[in-house]
Amino acid sequence: MSLSRLQTATDILQARTRAYEAQAYQAHRGMGLADAEKSPPLTLGDGAIDGHLEGGLVCGGLHEVRSPLARDIGAATGFALGLAARAMQAERGGRGGIVWVTDPATRVDGGGLFPVGLAQYGLAPSSMTMVEPGDLQGAMWAADEAAGCNGLAALIFQIKGNPPRFDMTATRRLMLRARQSGVLALTLRQSGEEEASAAATRWRVNTESSGADENYQHGVGAMRLSLTLERNRAGRTGQWLLAWNPKDRSFDHAAPNPHTRANPPAHSLDRLPVSANRPDSSGQMGQVLDHRRDFGRAS
Amino acid sequence: MDAHPDTPPVVVTDTVKNAIRIIALDQRARDNSVRLNQTLSDARALVPDLDCHPADDARNQALLLKIAGWCERYTPLVALDAAPEAERNHGLFMDITGCAHLLGGEAALIADLEARLRAQGFHARLCLADTPGAAWAMAGYGQGHIIAEAAHAEAILPLSLSGLRLPPAMVASLGRVGLKTIGCIAGLPRAPLAARFGARLMQRLDQALGRETEAISPIMPVAELSTERRFAEPLTHQDEISQVTAALAAGIIEPLERRGLGLRHCRLKLFRVDGHVSQLDVQTARPLRDARLIRRLFDERIAGLHDDLDAGFGFDLIRLDVVHADPFEAGQTEMMASHAADQGHDALVDRLGARLGLDRVQRFVLTDTHIPERSFGRQPVAHLDAGSVRQAAGNAALALASDQEPLGGIITRPLILFDRPELMQTIAEVPDGPPLKFRWRGVAYEVDRSEGPERIACEWWRDGRGARTRDYFRVEDRQGYRFWMFRHGLYGRETSDPAWYMHGLFA
Repeated sequence: MSLSRLQTATDILQARTRAYEAQAYQAHRGMGLADAEKSPPLTLGDGAIDGHLEGGLVCGGLHEVRSPLARDIGAATGFALGLAARAMQAERGGRGGIVWVTDPATRVDGGGLFPVGLAQYGLAPSSMTMVEPGDLQGAMWAADEAAGCNGLAALIFQIKGNPPRFDMTATRRLMLRARQSGVLALTLRQSGEEEASAAATRWRVNTESSGADENYQHGVGAMRLSLTLERNRAGRTGQWLLAWNPKDRSFDHAAPNPHTRANPPAHSLDRLPVSANRPDSSGQMGQVLDHRRDFGRAS
Repeated sequence: MDAHPDTPPVVVTDTVKNAIRIIALDQRARDNSVRLNQTLSDARALVPDLDCHPADDARNQALLLKIAGWCERYTPLVALDAAPEAERNHGLFMDITGCAHLLGGEAALIADLEARLRAQGFHARLCLADTPGAAWAMAGYGQGHIIAEAAHAEAILPLSLSGLRLPPAMVASLGRVGLKTIGCIAGLPRAPLAARFGARLMQRLDQALGRETEAISPIMPVAELSTERRFAEPLTHQDEISQVTAALAAGIIEPLERRGLGLRHCRLKLFRVDGHVSQLDVQTARPLRDARLIRRLFDERIAGLHDDLDAGFGFDLIRLDVVHADPFEAGQTEMMASHAADQGHDALVDRLGARLGLDRVQRFVLTDTHIPERSFGRQPVAHLDAGSVRQAAGNAALALASDQEPLGGIITRPLILFDRPELMQTIAEVPDGPPLKFRWRGVAYEVDRSEGPERIACEWWRDGRGARTRDYFRVEDRQGYRFWMFRHGLYGRETSDPAWYMHGLFA
């Protein structure tokens, strides 16, 4: 009895000593940066969202950006790159560089990043490193390695759909590594469904018509996104309309268009009617015919 | 070849002068009085159950290369015997200058080589001499394994003239005038011989006797630095191999330091006891001098192999070669924060490249052309010509600056570009109106707003005269999708039915 208790006590002591030594070693080498919790959160640039997120996105952590349809990939990529550009701009500890890891299944849709477009968007193409492994397992390994690298500003891991291999354990591993190194890890889910993961925040991105251009009335105006925060570990969800400002590299608040879309967005959280929890009984049942008037007419 | 006593004799046949003749035979066939150049039918009459194989030069050559690769365990300078004039060319030259002491002397090396070749089933004739020519002559036409130093001139004198790697016609004509051995022509005046038989005869004689130096050109490029370990008991476990790699890497750091170099490309060669040689390459993005990192890169490389490293009965020699080394800047060992971040990024790129393959980790390179899909390329980050990641970033920024594309300008180019533009069905005004409705990947879109056209002309010097101009439009549909598409060909001037293609997506 007493021997086994002594053994467990020794184990605990050994584990603690090892932990202290690891910390001391890191501190001595100067490689361990300040804890991720202490680094300032990443603001998006718009006061409303930043207030909602209590300062901004947690920088040393995992966040997920999802585009429900394959054609929304442009908007989702824009949002992910915007976050990455802001992470690079923050320049904590002189780090820089973005690593973009692609799951080979995403190449089926055939699109790759265009460096001139990146430059116009506000991101220097020379700061991007593209990693294209041959299979999902290699891609997950590469994402883990990049998430643990101190010298990176952001990691974007592009996957297609909801592969069963990329499960809660895998996202948790990514999250822990990102927390330790302070890298902003983003999962860009292309044409994927909602899935439980260890991400701190989950965003769904939809396209939104651009605002009117002041110079060219019929032209395509400033780029706009409709963001839905589907899951937030540290607060509430919400929905916003944002525009990306390439010069300042920030997301600006955008007003909804004067000519609204024909159908309101299907998943609007802010505009839920009061009777949302009750079955809807007062919907339109279809065209109402007045039989008294049509009865007797030749069909 | 040494064959099992019960198997039939083996011969190799080839068609020579319109008859199937025997060009090689083993000892058992020779015991049964089969001779070289005998026709197959005659040989079959002597030995009915002859096992004959057609000659296959390609396979012979491949086997010879494999043996040459294995012979690198003795010396990196292994060359194929490429004497086109001589009939026999299934041999290897090995330059063991400076390598003999590693195996305990020349005699021990020869004995080891012969024993191992015999164990693998090869019957080889070896000879060690001061010059390649003398060694060739002795191995082919003489007896004895080692010619003592500076004794090669006397040793080859009694050998036949064929030992000088001369064409058979020349040997025959020399024989007709009574010159049959090397000793016969060694003492004769040179000018008449050269006039009668050509300068080649004199050159070969000088090469054999050592008056003219002959260099052999090794098959594999010789590494700048190399360190190796031999094991009396062969290694099979991956952990052991990893430890040995670490030790070898630690051993190679000091010579690198002395020369002020850091390694960029190194190769680990694992020699199996049964003759198979495995090879692993690792390239880095910046010069490296850290033994732990080198070991880690090799571990990633082994982990990234699709099939495990097959150890067979074990590896008994492991060698680490430095194939390419670059000057190492001492400033990279400082522990400033930005340098630490740099180190982190470079080390990450090295690890990813080691495990996944160097061509899978890439960065953008801009090229000078207007055609969008050609205006950029991708280059592996760890390319030997590129510097570290930071250097590469600096160069690319310069390229961008010259392209007058400031960061964060007016957006005219999409974020995502398709590798190949995709054909769509579009309704648009002719001759050069914007698209009104289009159908892409099976979905119909209605255009709400558009900008354009932006005309990008073809590169007639690359695509030829029939290439078409592209008019690019930036369009947005009702739901907010923003596309970059083009009309391929000018209506009326280049084609009467221009097609529309989708090329990219904006954010």
